[in-house]
Amino acid sequence: MARAIWSGSISFGMVSIPVKLFGATEGRDISFNQLHSTCGTRLKQVRWCPTDEVEVPWSETARGYEYTKGEYVVLTDEDFESLPLPSKHTIDLSAFVNEAEIDPIFYEKSYYLAPDERAEKPYALLLRALEKKGLTALATITMRKKEQLCALRPRDGVIMLETLYYPDEVRMEHGVKLDDSKVSDRELDMAFTLIELLKKPFDPSEYHDSYRAALGQLIEAKLEGRKVVKSPPTRDNNVIDLADALRKSVEAAKKNGKPKPAARTRARAPARRTRKVG
Amino acid sequence: MPSQIEEVLEQLDTRAPKLTLEVGGHELAVTSLDKPLWPGAGRRKAITKRDLLRYFARVSPWILPHLSARPVFATRFPGGVDSKSFYQKHWDGPPPFVRTVTIYSSHGEGDGEYIICENLPTLLWLAQMSALELHAWFSRVEREPDARGLGRRFHGSEAALDRSVLNYPDFVVFDLDPYEYSGKEARGAEPELHRRAFNRTRTLALRIREMLERLGLATWIKTSGRTGLHLYLPIVRDIDFDGAREVAQTIAQHALRERPREVTLEWSVERRRGKIFFDYNQNSRGKSLAAPYSPRRHQGGTVATPVSWDELEEIYPTDFTILTVPDRLEAAGDPWKGILEAKQDLGGVLSAGSTP
Repeated sequence: MARAIWSGSISFGMVSIPVKLFGATEGRDISFNQLHSTCGTRLKQVRWCPTDEVEVPWSETARGYEYTKGEYVVLTDEDFESLPLPSKHTIDLSAFVNEAEIDPIFYEKSYYLAPDERAEKPYALLLRALEKKGLTALATITMRKKEQLCALRPRDGVIMLETLYYPDEVRMEHGVKLDDSKVSDRELDMAFTLIELLKKPFDPSEYHDSYRAALGQLIEAKLEGRKVVKSPPTRDNNVIDLADALRKSVEAAKKNGKPKPAARTRARAPARRTRKVG
Repeated sequence: MPSQIEEVLEQLDTRAPKLTLEVGGHELAVTSLDKPLWPGAGRRKAITKRDLLRYFARVSPWILPHLSARPVFATRFPGGVDSKSFYQKHWDGPPPFVRTVTIYSSHGEGDGEYIICENLPTLLWLAQMSALELHAWFSRVEREPDARGLGRRFHGSEAALDRSVLNYPDFVVFDLDPYEYSGKEARGAEPELHRRAFNRTRTLALRIREMLERLGLATWIKTSGRTGLHLYLPIVRDIDFDGAREVAQTIAQHALRERPREVTLEWSVERRRGKIFFDYNQNSRGKSLAAPYSPRRHQGGTVATPVSWDELEEIYPTDFTILTVPDRLEAAGDPWKGILEAKQDLGGVLSAGSTP
């Protein structure tokens, strides 16, 4: 498994369960670096002070909050340390709710919680209890200097930690108004028919980021020094390619397939386990 | 149901652990009828040798046409699928109702006697020996209807066999085998069946079918009985096994180019991980996949089952077991009926359709 991004303990009444947190999702976007196009050097970001016209080292930087245009209040490290963060290394369970009560809009990011050594027993107890009761625990956790609301839910033999947005981080007003649109029963029936046609179980493996795949191939092709084709061939071209290739194999096969003299030197198919299990 | 099958089923409908079956005018001693061949688990009952005999009897009208005139070899599991198995190609002194053929073996063994399973007594005799996985050659010993010019001498030398009709397969086969692990496998074990891998394999099979359909070629599909799918492209027999393998390889390489992240042609099992192994090397004389309707060694008594392309989206390999397949066949018949009549002239189709 990947490296833990947080460790601490779940605090649940009198019980404390040491756990580690692992990311359950990862963005797969391909990222780029900026280069100088004439020499290919990777560009460096410079912190530049336009007043003093100097490059500024990290040690001379400060964090300022812009309270009004061009006016800042400066916060120091001591200021930050004085802030109350009670759940620094604990996940404090505060309530249990039904999972369905949490609107998906609140979910931010998913993590796996794994028990520390020797904490399997209480971890399993909490997991089983949540499973049996069909409940999700609400809790707070401090990650990256921020106290975060989160939900702990059982899934497939593991406790998931889902960070949640606070209510004031969710935009509830959406500005969509449908008062004037009337929908007839016939139109609704048509929509039902279409939906029935496309209804199927959710299978995430069917969905791929085709842009990313194409980008990955483009990069691989560049690496191998191959000429990169600007527009990938369409499927029809593919089939024509295949037809040509197949025609060649069939023609060759027919030529070779004629009865031939006894001694054959052609290589046989490489030996492989003869018993097929699959 | 033909009366011969009904008679067999009636005779098996007893509590006796062994008996002498009368079938087609022959006598066949069957023993250890209550021995579990596939162990039970939880609420699932064990499948016994009696169940296997019943299965073969009931599916015989549909399995025999697929085995007809083809040398067959079998994997035998005398102690059930969880115990030792052995692989049998040559049989000494089979009963008189078993058709045999002598074939030269290219592995230095000289001539050997192979069996051909084309009647009910032979099928039941194989079941009695717990020969539950049947592998039939892709070529046949008969010349009709499309290989009249080829030889029928199979013994004596490799050259004779090369010139014979047994060197010319009825199908080009594509074996799609997902190497995507569920995570529950023991170290070094083959991947277990799971939905994600099967869905990906199904998608690849559909794509291959679409590709070949655009070239004017029809393909047929069956479950392997485990995790994979087998596509068959029935062909006129003017291409030998080496040629069929080249055709399959061309298609495999095309699929790899088109879907490099999903398809692998790697020999090293480790490097197949996470991809679908497109095995074109089954197109070799003497190699074979599990025959249509052959039971497999896997839990629950799954069966390698022909399906129609239309139903492929809805099926899952474990739908088809020794206990379910007979009802399916009796209700709906064989989706592969007529596969041998559907032979396609690869050379002709490909040169006629050069611009689709």
